[in-house]
Amino acid sequence: MMKRLRKNGFLAFVVIAYIGLFIINKEKAILSIKNSGYYIKEMLTVMPLVFLLTALIDTWIPQETIMDYLGDGSGVKGSFISIFLGSISAGPIYAAFPVCKTLLRKGASIFNIVVILSSWAVIKIPMLANEARFLSPKFMAIRWVFTTIGIIIMGYMVSKVVKRDDIPIEEEAIEHGKILIKEEYCIGCGICAKIAPGYFEIENNRAIAIDENIHGGVDDDVDKAEEKCPTRAIAISK
Amino acid sequence: MDIFTKGLWIITVSWFIISMKRDKNRTLKSMKKSKNMMGNMLGQIIGILFLIGLILTLIPPEMIKEYLGSSNTLIATIVSALIGTITLIPAFVAFPLIGSIVDMGASIVPSVAFLTTLTMVGIVTFNLESREFGRRFAIARNGISFVFAILIALAMGVIL
Ligand code: SF4
Repeated sequence: MMKRLRKNGFLAFVVIAYIGLFIINKEKAILSIKNSGYYIKEMLTVMPLVFLLTALIDTWIPQETIMDYLGDGSGVKGSFISIFLGSISAGPIYAAFPVCKTLLRKGASIFNIVVILSSWAVIKIPMLANEARFLSPKFMAIRWVFTTIGIIIMGYMVSKVVKRDDIPIEEEAIEHGKILIKEEYCIGCGICAKIAPGYFEIENNRAIAIDENIHGGVDDDVDKAEEKCPTRAIAISK
Repeated sequence: MDIFTKGLWIITVSWFIISMKRDKNRTLKSMKKSKNMMGNMLGQIIGILFLIGLILTLIPPEMIKEYLGSSNTLIATIVSALIGTITLIPAFVAFPLIGSIVDMGASIVPSVAFLTTLTMVGIVTFNLESREFGRRFAIARNGISFVFAILIALAMGVIL
């Protein structure tokens, strides 16, 4: 209950504001609902679009393939791929952290990482539909151009200030042969529990390790779970 | 519907049909994932849409014009950018809100600054970022992004 309330705290706040307004001034409350009407209608024309597009991008443009393309390729090609990777990905900026960490380990440059993080944050293909609807297609297009240019310059500037050695690359200290679930990234999708039910379980919408010790063996499924976790929340040390 | 939205609808629906034909299971699975993501945002989306109604009714447009209009753009822009760094709403929900305020007469410059810092600069995620990429990286990226948010906003003000 508390958790639900916290999650929907904002909605609760708006509902209470409406109730208050109804008591003080009924006409204004009704007018407010009417005024919301237009925006609700607009939202309904883009929400299914954003929903479908997110799913389609997820099905047909797999992140991993693009990550492989990136490697340590920098320069113009690298920045295009980075912007593309960021733009097709769903979720807030912190969902990009583990992905970028993996890329850094694979040798991606700081420039590319900054470009991915930034475009992950501001440029989202399904979101462009939303922006065009509520502001205007022209607004959306111009902002997109400026932001893209800005992101490239930003990547360049950060890569001048920060060197590779400044970034902690080493694995988190996991004991040998153990599993660690990084709670802040786990979205509770349940994939790990499905792949490796002997190791993972979902509790309160988060994965927990029922068995922290890796057994090893040829048909050990823990590796696959680590690989398939969409947010890369699982770390294993062998 | 404007041409852009219409076009995108056509592309998306055709893509969806092809996708269902090629691999029904995978498509449905991704849709479920996407549904979960949207479901998590639903409360916020409904909240924002009704909040817009309240704002439109209760806040006089003159007030929006005075504080967010074009008279003192720079200060309004910096303040909006700052608010963006501490606000925790997905961009998806921010667009209708910004749209309504702009319709009421707010200048677009502070709005753009807010939109950019909202997603790109995060006080709340700063700790996580510096743990993953080091303090130096987090400070540099967030700092430079903040400055650029304002530059992008000002540039857009010149063009639009
Ligand atoms: S696969 Fe990853 S995100 Fe999904 S429940 Fe398991 S640990 Fe969490």
